[in-house]
Amino acid sequence: MTSTSGTTPHLIEVDGLSASYGRVAALKPVDLRVEEGEFVTILGPNGAGKTTLLRAISRLIACNGQVKFKGQDISKLNTHQLAKLGIIMVQEGRGLFGEMSVYENLLLGAYGVGNQRDEVERRFTQVFTLFPRLRERSSQAASSMSGGEQQMLAVGRALMAGPKLLMLDEPSLGLAPKVAAGILDTLGELNRNGLGILLVEQKAPLALKLARRVYVLSSGSVRAELPAQEIKSHHDLAKFYFH
Amino acid sequence: MPSVVELVQSLVNGVGIGLVYGLIAIGFCVIYNASGIVNFAQGVFVMLGGMFAYSFLVTLKWPLALAAAASIIVVAGIGVLVQIFIIRPMWERKAPMFAIILATLAVQLLIEQIVILTMGDQPRTYPEFTLGGPLKLGPIAIGYQLFWVLGCGALMVVLLQLFFNKTRVGRALRACSQNREAAALLGIPVGGMLMLSFALSAGLGAAAGILITPTQYTAYSVGAPFGVNGFISAIIGGFGSAPAALAGGILLGVVQSAAIVVFGAGYKNVIALTVLLIVLLFFPKGLFGGLAKKH
Repeated sequence: MTSTSGTTPHLIEVDGLSASYGRVAALKPVDLRVEEGEFVTILGPNGAGKTTLLRAISRLIACNGQVKFKGQDISKLNTHQLAKLGIIMVQEGRGLFGEMSVYENLLLGAYGVGNQRDEVERRFTQVFTLFPRLRERSSQAASSMSGGEQQMLAVGRALMAGPKLLMLDEPSLGLAPKVAAGILDTLGELNRNGLGILLVEQKAPLALKLARRVYVLSSGSVRAELPAQEIKSHHDLAKFYFH
Repeated sequence: MPSVVELVQSLVNGVGIGLVYGLIAIGFCVIYNASGIVNFAQGVFVMLGGMFAYSFLVTLKWPLALAAAASIIVVAGIGVLVQIFIIRPMWERKAPMFAIILATLAVQLLIEQIVILTMGDQPRTYPEFTLGGPLKLGPIAIGYQLFWVLGCGALMVVLLQLFFNKTRVGRALRACSQNREAAALLGIPVGGMLMLSFALSAGLGAAAGILITPTQYTAYSVGAPFGVNGFISAIIGGFGSAPAALAGGILLGVVQSAAIVVFGAGYKNVIALTVLLIVLLFFPKGLFGGLAKKH
């Protein structure tokens, strides 16, 4: 399968992905794609299956269906193998190693780089340029930082892993509006530099400013796929949520 | 009433056995922190360490260093096999944790039976690493083997601390102990880390067994008591860092040793369990507060 241009494979292509918790189908067969350098947002009400979708793509939960990355079938790979390919996910709640320092968290982000010190240093420089606060706090325990700083660390750590597709689950959750906007602005900057992003976000207005395309998820199914510009207000969104 | 000399002597003896408990406790912590599994087969690694060391040293007449290194490697390999053939399949099938823990208990019994069938049920021992002694400090006698236990125990704890804090793989193991999902999402092979934790833990148990066998003996049945005491030490220490587990082991060893002098050998385990209950009553997370923040 190729993108609409007919030549370049999609960055990621999800075909009929489904997952369930016991007998409850949390994700009915879902199709989704993200192109190289594209910013895609998944919107939907609580319980729509947004988090489940990201966890299924990352193979954190068992699922059925096919996932291709740059045209390669990755359905049989496990989570850490996907990370090595460059599919990196920032979990809801950030998933930091709270007892470890900021520096150690970032260093673990570059686990796949091995002992290539120059490459690790290059990535540190990139992350510290993007988030200077992390350099100031590098010896501090991750758990002792503010929510906004922790989110910076979560994104910074994901960047240390050298993502080709960055998936984020509610990065603005629990953050003050200004801090959340700052984080999302950074994601926009990363995307402008060519990074493919798949964002799950409840704060629709923030996400819609950045996204090129939007999937609206409800009750485990894709209710709509449309350009972000077409969604003008929450009112329009509600139409899809309660379809 | 025991004399001061007897109490001091028991303190010295207690530190020695406590260090061994501490090494076993560290083994418990390594696996628990990497996976949430309490490996009740830990004691059997201690027994195997002594058994293999006996075979290499006495039967095959290998030099001590080679015999010790070979024992540690063989037992670490057995730890890996246990992980591959017993733990991993259950883990991948998402077996309940209690079932996995019960399986480790079954592994202990299975290995004990294999040892009885292959090596018999007679106790075995070999000479202390440095012959002669004990060292006399007035009325207090300190066997040279205690210095070996002290030195090797301290060295292993230092090496473990360096491993966990300064190496890429050590940090990854710590990451798995804090958040396995997040670790996997960064490309850390969590399954491989679990295997490594079993190898490390079995190797530590073997080292403890090699060190303690000259002062006691080894036999198919010593695994369970060592395992129980190592487990108690780990709980007292808080199932956290290596130094905390070692401290828990030394405390338990000293209290047990003193109890033998004051109340008689029959009360050794009663006192050990009483100490455990008292610690948990006043410090429910262990003395160093590691318990309950994980898993």
